[in-house]
Amino acid sequence: MSVVNYGTREITCKIVYYGPGRSGKTTNLQHVYSQLPEERKGKMVSLATETDRTLFFDFLPLDLGTISGFATRFQLYTVPGQVYYAATRKLVLQGVDGVVFVADSQSRQLAENIESLQDLHANLADEGLDPRTLPLVMQYNKRDLPPGEISGIEELDETLNFRAVPYFPANAINGGGVFETLRSIASTVLGRLSAPAPKGS
Amino acid sequence: MATGVKKGSEDDSGEFAEFMADISHEIAKRVESLDPTPKSRPAQRKQATPVPDAGVIAEWDNVADRMIEEMG
Repeated sequence: MSVVNYGTREITCKIVYYGPGRSGKTTNLQHVYSQLPEERKGKMVSLATETDRTLFFDFLPLDLGTISGFATRFQLYTVPGQVYYAATRKLVLQGVDGVVFVADSQSRQLAENIESLQDLHANLADEGLDPRTLPLVMQYNKRDLPPGEISGIEELDETLNFRAVPYFPANAINGGGVFETLRSIASTVLGRLSAPAPKGS
Repeated sequence: MATGVKKGSEDDSGEFAEFMADISHEIAKRVESLDPTPKSRPAQRKQATPVPDAGVIAEWDNVADRMIEEMG
């Protein structure tokens, strides 16, 4: 769990975008990156294959500067969605403070969404994190596709969002819903920040 | 908590600024509520005795403070 470090006056939060392959996780980070003012633009690290699939992970350090006297950083990661990169997903989840689950709204991708969500829960449990309490936000992406190709929001929410966490329709490719999602997960994570345990306890 | 899907071309320039404003507010609340260092109480305004009578210590509060300091 992320901690407000009063000694070094730092707040660092790790947020992971999880979801099936091609659901739009990298696109979310690319939109956030595109909106950053020049002075805050660090490097977005993206390791992709020749076919533009995320091979390892994307990493976007979001240095928010000093807020209330604290140097504040959000570290945004994506995981590779393809099933055979299970080890990488586990690695990226280490030390996570919050997860954005990016679901693909296409009706034919519903099974992949469910499988990815189950994978998330299993990997969190392996990391000793409680999937029932870890800050989580759902994003139903690709809402810009023709209505005949996508599932309804209610159907997606009923199928995937059994924790009843905040959810956001999005079309990340055009930036729609991206910052709303980020704001929600950031707010949830910040709400759970804890002070460091007193010495000797 | 659904939100409407916003077209990317609309109001993009302010997206990060809005995000920063919200997050800054959230962090300010959080660090204040968690701050382990004892908060210094605001100094109490000492009321000056309007017209000191003979034999009455006018600056009693200051004298008491000094006594406590010396005893400590």
